[in-house]
Amino acid sequence: MEIQFGLIDFLLVAPAVALFVMSCVPLLIKVMRGNQEQNTMATLVYAYTGVFAAMGFCLPTIGATRTAFEGALVFDGVSAFATIVILFCTAVALTFARDSQSTNPKQFTETVFLMMNAAVGMLTMVWANDLIIVFVGLELFSLCLYMMIAMSLEEKVSKEAAFKYFILGSFASALMLYGISFIYGTVGSTYLPELLSSTQNLLATNRLFLLGFVLLIVGLLFKAAVFPFHAWAPDVYQGAPTPLTAFMATGVKAATLAFFLRLVASQAFTVERFWPFVDVMQWMIVLTILIGNVGAFRQRSLKRMLAYSSIAHSGYVMIGMIAAGIGGASMLGATGVMFYIVSYAIMTIGAFGVLHMLEPRPDSDLTVEDLRGLAARKPWLALALTVLLLSLTGIPPTVGFFGKFFLFSAAVKQGLIWLAVWGVIGSIISVYYYLRPVVAMYMEEPVIAPAQVNMRPLSYFAVSFLALLVLVFGIASEPLYQVVLASVAKVF
Amino acid sequence: MPSTETILNVGLTHYLALSAVIFSFGMIAVLMRKNVIVMLMGVELMLNAVNLSFIAFAKESGNLSGHIMVFFVMTIAAAEAGVGLALAVAIYKKFHEVNIRFFEHLRG
Repeated sequence: MEIQFGLIDFLLVAPAVALFVMSCVPLLIKVMRGNQEQNTMATLVYAYTGVFAAMGFCLPTIGATRTAFEGALVFDGVSAFATIVILFCTAVALTFARDSQSTNPKQFTETVFLMMNAAVGMLTMVWANDLIIVFVGLELFSLCLYMMIAMSLEEKVSKEAAFKYFILGSFASALMLYGISFIYGTVGSTYLPELLSSTQNLLATNRLFLLGFVLLIVGLLFKAAVFPFHAWAPDVYQGAPTPLTAFMATGVKAATLAFFLRLVASQAFTVERFWPFVDVMQWMIVLTILIGNVGAFRQRSLKRMLAYSSIAHSGYVMIGMIAAGIGGASMLGATGVMFYIVSYAIMTIGAFGVLHMLEPRPDSDLTVEDLRGLAARKPWLALALTVLLLSLTGIPPTVGFFGKFFLFSAAVKQGLIWLAVWGVIGSIISVYYYLRPVVAMYMEEPVIAPAQVNMRPLSYFAVSFLALLVLVFGIASEPLYQVVLASVAKVF
Repeated sequence: MPSTETILNVGLTHYLALSAVIFSFGMIAVLMRKNVIVMLMGVELMLNAVNLSFIAFAKESGNLSGHIMVFFVMTIAAAEAGVGLALAVAIYKKFHEVNIRFFEHLRG
């Protein structure tokens, strides 16, 4: 067999190449200078160059469906959309990482290198058209994240978080790989189109394939933190440096869910033999929503509260995922999921961004009491956090409202009314814990010795921009929805 | 009771059974033990069990891609062991023992 690939393949993967090359430059400079850290701003400029070049390379590929490297990678609407979301999250998280108290300024180059390579892994995962490439991408970003968490200046909790994430993450990827081996054994290939075209048939006839498929889905559910595979999320999100938490909560989920969408596009959930598992999954989603919201309700630590709320948000997204997999108007579900990935990424990364600006020390763990009277001291920051939290609650006209609206209306159209009802109940519970910080900021007296707010201009700009984006996308949700619809339409 | 012939004729099923057994041992090591190094060994065991099943399937079907996948998995397992051991060193420096019983800060 002769393997051929031309310049076009390299142009298609140029975003990943740009990210990788520009992540190496600061590291090389550091080595040349005899392991002396250069100015962090200069490092950041190299990183930005990489990310924006990647975005530039990605833009011309939007609109057409192409494959690269003998079909190993696919570039369609879903991957283009997820690529932009991931690159955007990377740029924002890099900004936060420079300004954060918990990332070591003496190791900023390494943090940048790992973060950009994690982005390469995520891009690989969303482009992947072959299960083994999915696995490689997944491991690439996971390994980068484990190391970045452990590199925090805070010593105790971050080590614990890194190791917990490492063990549970490796466990889940081993399960997923075991599933891939069964799929390979029954299909004879891990090539995704070949696999997806025979999925329905094989699910109905082959037990081994069923087991493999279930294990693969379990691995993905773990990465998306869906009950009962959610237990790592609060610990890891709390223990990791806040900029990284922001990156993990958004980038990892965007990559995982984009690939999940590709898998679901085979309409595997319509197979009768698979129905019991779909039922189980629906219950898992209901429990995810409940546990996420009730867990967040009980937290004092704001970071842990947002971690539980991100579990709840995975539950909402999975409602759309089920709606996308059961045939009928599956397009609506898929579009809802994609739209929600965008809205969730913007508001979550923004909320964590505000938290990281309020942290005075590497080991500080903010509680609601620390926010008291913030509106009087930093009115704009308080306003940005308010907008982001309202969006997470799902109050119009923010983008969070429309994200939930499209998901739940898709579920209702697909006859999954009870899931939509549970989603709404979850949102109602969430009003309390999302609005408590807002009340503390605006209506309570400031604490006696307010902690220093870390007003670094770049982070401040990023957070304000994200809050603005939440409002803009909320008001202009219809055009955005049409764009998402057009990009998903080619896959479904 | 399977006849002697089915036991002695080693085929795909035997390899898959072996791989399942090794995989479960790995799982038990990860879930039950408290020593960080043993947990790492468990993860490696799980990945190698998967390798065995890839090879068994590839040999059975005469399809080469299974062999290639094993190389991917081996590389990733090596990288994972590297990161895991680095974490173990960091934990040892902090707690003076590689044991997860010190992990009690993150709860709730």
